[in-house]
Formats: sequence, structure tokens, C-alpha cells
Amino acid sequence: MASGLFSIVAVVGVAFASYQERLSPSVASGLLWVILLFSSIVALSRSFVAEEEAGTAILLRLVARSHAVFWGKALFNLIQMFITAAVLSILLFGLTTQTVSHYPLYTLGLLGGCASLAGAVTLCGALAAQASNRSALVGAIGIPLLLPLIAMGIGATRYCLGGVGVGIASRAVSSAIGLSVYAFAIFAVGPWLFDVVWKE
Amino acid sequence: MTKLFRLFVFLMIGVLTWAAYAVPDAQMFAVPEMARLIFFHLPCALSCTMFFYFGAYLSFRTIQSKSLSWDVRAASANELGMVLAVLTMITGIIFSKIQWGAFWSWDPRQTSFLFVLLLYSAYFVLRSAFADPEKRAWVSAAYALFCVLPATFCIFVLPRIMESLHPSNTVVDGQLKGWYGWVTWSLVLFITVFASIIYKLAVRAGLLELKVLENYGNLETRGGDTALTGVVRPIPVPDEGGAQS
Repeated sequence: MASGLFSIVAVVGVAFASYQERLSPSVASGLLWVILLFSSIVALSRSFVAEEEAGTAILLRLVARSHAVFWGKALFNLIQMFITAAVLSILLFGLTTQTVSHYPLYTLGLLGGCASLAGAVTLCGALAAQASNRSALVGAIGIPLLLPLIAMGIGATRYCLGGVGVGIASRAVSSAIGLSVYAFAIFAVGPWLFDVVWKE
Repeated sequence: MTKLFRLFVFLMIGVLTWAAYAVPDAQMFAVPEMARLIFFHLPCALSCTMFFYFGAYLSFRTIQSKSLSWDVRAASANELGMVLAVLTMITGIIFSKIQWGAFWSWDPRQTSFLFVLLLYSAYFVLRSAFADPEKRAWVSAAYALFCVLPATFCIFVLPRIMESLHPSNTVVDGQLKGWYGWVTWSLVLFITVFASIIYKLAVRAGLLELKVLENYGNLETRGGDTALTGVVRPIPVPDEGGAQS
């Protein structure tokens, strides 16, 4: 809910600010990923923080295996992120004059990016959940971890939003593949790292 | 440090300082005489990368062994890596101003190194958020291992997929030749060894602190009171830092 509303408000704000003006591919791509970054930080990290605040984390530790908890939270966050990205894309192209020139690459970049964001923020939420200043801490540790992802995401979608330049297409392909590999790596090591912080 | 070793360190500093001035100017730079900043910048960057990866390995050992002594080593390695990263950043900014005309050029390598600095700053923020040493150890070890992925991307991938003002593959392609190569590699070795000595001291201090924490309540002051004041009876501590790391 929070991430969806944040995305809608952000896109409406961008559309209003750029009324009757065409955003450059770099700016549009940057805005798209910044909105995705903050909507993920706002909403996804709450999954473990909410459990700690409600006192249900102890029950989860007693009744469920750590891998099951991680995959449950990560998949929920993944679906939430996919929905947010889809809504965000529809709104961005509906409310602004922006168009997509290469749909398969755009979809691959967005899917890989959303999966990486979901995996990384789930883990960040788990790391920060037991700290005293957990809400501020999620942002403090999450944003540096996600900055390389955002850089790759911008590289992947800039070409798809009409960007031109030497090597921009090959960079977009390598960035989209890089995002997918990043997502795969996070979901490969995530359960093991989560096990370390969840049990103790 | 023995007297002989101290003498060796001072001798090395003297020889390397002389060598850095004695090398001919590197003509491919905008201000050739100031290109000597590389002698400090590159070794700091290489040493800091080594310390960050060493810190990740020590974090893995922390998780594997569930021992706080490994956490002390991991934190010390990351602290040293952070100091070297800050030195790399400062020398890089000065170099950027002299050679490229601006303190910050949004160069991919400069920016990706800033990401690395932020990543490891978050490591220390995370450590400071936990009062319980054990919880702090496990959480920060997990974070340090998690950091390997974005740090590797920032150090090795991002600067190579984007056009950069930095020469890429300087080390891999053997572009450091002759005097420049000799002085640079000598300084890489010297700075790494010097940082390793500081690392060893930091580990020793950390292990002592850990020992004091473990024995808290069992220590006596000189007056025979409990150990609430700073004056405590010395306890024997084995040289674990030097033996195992």
C-alpha cells in the first residue's frame, strides 16, 4: 500500500512538474529508478520491522525455519515490487509523453532490478530489525547497498526510453543481465545470511 | 616493533620518498610533475581493496566459528580498509583537481569508489546500532559478506562498463613500467605492510578489550574494590592477533 501510494504520488508530481515537456531519457530513467528505490525502502523493509514491533518475530522463530521465513518475506516483497513497477510504468507513460522504444529489454531490466531490490531490502530489513533505531537504520544501510543497483537500472532503461549514444545499447544489455545476475546472487546467499541473523 | 624494524621502516620511507622525486615526469598527464600523486593514490586503493576482501573473509570466519575474536579481526580489517579508502578518496580528489580541472568530475571510477565508501560507512553505522556485542558481531558479519557483491561490482565492473577519465586495466595490462612501476609496487608493498602492522595492533587492542569485557566483575582494582574504576589488575593475554591472522 505504502509503496504503491508513494509511487503514484511521485509520478503525479513528476508529470505535473514536466507538464507538456518531454523528459530526456537519462532524466526519465533516473526518476523511475529513484522512485523505485524509495518505494522499496519505504515499504519492503517494514516486513521484519513490523514483526519485531508487534512482538510476533519470537513466534516466527519458534514455529518456522529461517529459510521458510526468508523466502516467504522475499517472495511477498518481490510480488509487491513487481506490482509497484508495473503501476509506476503505466502511470509514467500515461501521464507523461515518455515512450518505450525496446519493450523486451525494458521488461528484463525492470524485472531484474525489482528482484534485486526486493532481495536486498528484505535482507536489510532483517539486519536492521533488531536494532533500537531500526527505521532510520534501514535507510542508512539500504541506500548504499542499492546505489550500484540503481546505477545499473538507469543504464538498462536509458536506452529503452530513447537514449542514443556510442555503446548505450550494449551497456543497456549488459546492465539488464547484470541486474538479473545480481538478483540471482542475492537470492542464492540471502537465505544463508538471513539464517545467521535470524537465529541469534 | 624492534629497533631494527623501526630503522628499516624509516629507511624505506626515506628511500621511497627520494625515489618518488627522482623518477622522470610522466608526460601523458596534464601536469606531469604532479602525476607523482599516483605513488600514494594507487597503493592506498589497492591496499584498501585487499583489506575489504580480507574483512569479508574474517566476517565469514566470524559466522563460521561464532567467535567474537574473529569479529574483532573483521572490524579491524574493515576499519583499516576504511582509513585507506578515505586516503584514496582525498588523494583522488586532489589529483582530479590538478589533472582534470575539477575536484569532482563524476567519473565512473570516482563515483563507484564513493559508493564503496558509503557501503562501508554503513557497516560502521550498523555496528554502532547494536549494544549487545554478540548481536553486533553476527549482524555486521552478515552485512560485510553481503557487501562483497556490490563492492565487487563498484570496484571491478562499473568503472569498466562506462567511459572513464581513469586509465582502466593499468595494473592488469602492466602499464606501470620502468621507474614508475618499481616505485609504485614498492609503495604498494610498503603501505600494505605498514597497514598490516597497524591492523595487528588494532586486533591486539580489540582482543584486550574483549578480554576485559569477558572478565568484567572478576577484576580487582588496586584497592581491592570491584572494577568500576579504570585502574584494573593486568591480566595475561596471549598474542592471538599475531598468531592466527
